[in-house]
Amino acid sequence: MTAREVNKTKLSKGILEMKFMKRTKEKVEKQLFQEEGKEYFGAQLTNHMKKGSDKFIIEPSFVFCEGLLDGRVSFRGMNPEIERLMELEEEAKQALTRKQNETEITDEQMAKHYRSSAVDTMAKKFRTKHENKKYVRDDSIEIEPLEKKPKFLKPSD
Amino acid sequence: MEVNIKDVVVPGDVAVEIMKSSEKERVILGPGLRRDCDRVLVTKAGVLKRRKPAIFYVDSYQKRYVPNRGENVVGIVTQKAGDIYRVDIGAGELASLSYLAFEGATKKNRPDIVVGDVIFAKLLVASKGMEPELICVDSHGKKGKLGVLSPDGMLFDCSLSLARKLLHPSCQLLTLLAKEQAYEIAIGMNGKIWMKARSVHETIAACNAILAAENTPPAEMPALCSSIARNLLRIS
Repeated sequence: MTAREVNKTKLSKGILEMKFMKRTKEKVEKQLFQEEGKEYFGAQLTNHMKKGSDKFIIEPSFVFCEGLLDGRVSFRGMNPEIERLMELEEEAKQALTRKQNETEITDEQMAKHYRSSAVDTMAKKFRTKHENKKYVRDDSIEIEPLEKKPKFLKPSD
Repeated sequence: MEVNIKDVVVPGDVAVEIMKSSEKERVILGPGLRRDCDRVLVTKAGVLKRRKPAIFYVDSYQKRYVPNRGENVVGIVTQKAGDIYRVDIGAGELASLSYLAFEGATKKNRPDIVVGDVIFAKLLVASKGMEPELICVDSHGKKGKLGVLSPDGMLFDCSLSLARKLLHPSCQLLTLLAKEQAYEIAIGMNGKIWMKARSVHETIAACNAILAAENTPPAEMPALCSSIARNLLRIS
């Protein structure tokens, strides 16, 4: 039985060369190629490759592990070029920390900001030319939104 | 033997804590550690350390430099071969430095470097099978802090651990020394240090201070610096 099965899978070269066996031939060749590959590289697959996980990252340098500096420094005007670069780096670092520490703007600040700009601008839109002339901006007094024009009130009978 | 963080370790020890702590997060294994299946083995003698969040490495004493990609090193140009320079960085092999790896260098406009010059460069390629390759520009083509170091400085060697100690952000020695005298310095990760101060006396004094720092605890560093300064005053 088994012998027959083996014979069945292994078709002779002569038959495979025939025109109507083209697709089977491709299949058989592919299988053969894979088996060869396994024979070649099976020995090189170590335990570690089979059991490998991506949990570990190998970092061969101390620079990253210890967070080391870059080692070129100058002090008290010995090399102005380097000192300028150091200053720029320091500024960049501080800007980064400042950005992190920045608190959210309070409602009060927001209101003040709007009062100084947006309210004024909008108010200007609704002022008449006559009012515009005599208008002087004064931050000390509380700006109130302009009153609406009194509407015509229908007299009640 | 099984070891924990802050233990003194020798090659072959198994770092148990690393496997335990790392159920979900990525773990970074630094120098001196290697993975074998799901165990982590120690390959260097030293102290096993951890930096937050999950960076583990062995802090070891070492004098032979093994190049690593991205590190800044100080080297001596020893040969000019065609379109590359050969640079001694203290590794097993000479490093190569292309003449095009300088700011503003073109095929016609070669950088002005001669044999014997000291350079501060970054390692671009560093792998086991290949010769290390240096570069003197960053990714934007700017030289930044890299390049040729002036010939009136002094170059000396130290252990790799001292170089690391000086470069550690918490090390105060360089700023303390700056209070005593003006100087510039280039510290390579390869244990070569180039130093220049205003006079030869000052340069030598600063070099001595740095070499003495190897075995000085951080608390005693101010005293070390002031004693160097006092000696300088006596000489001049």
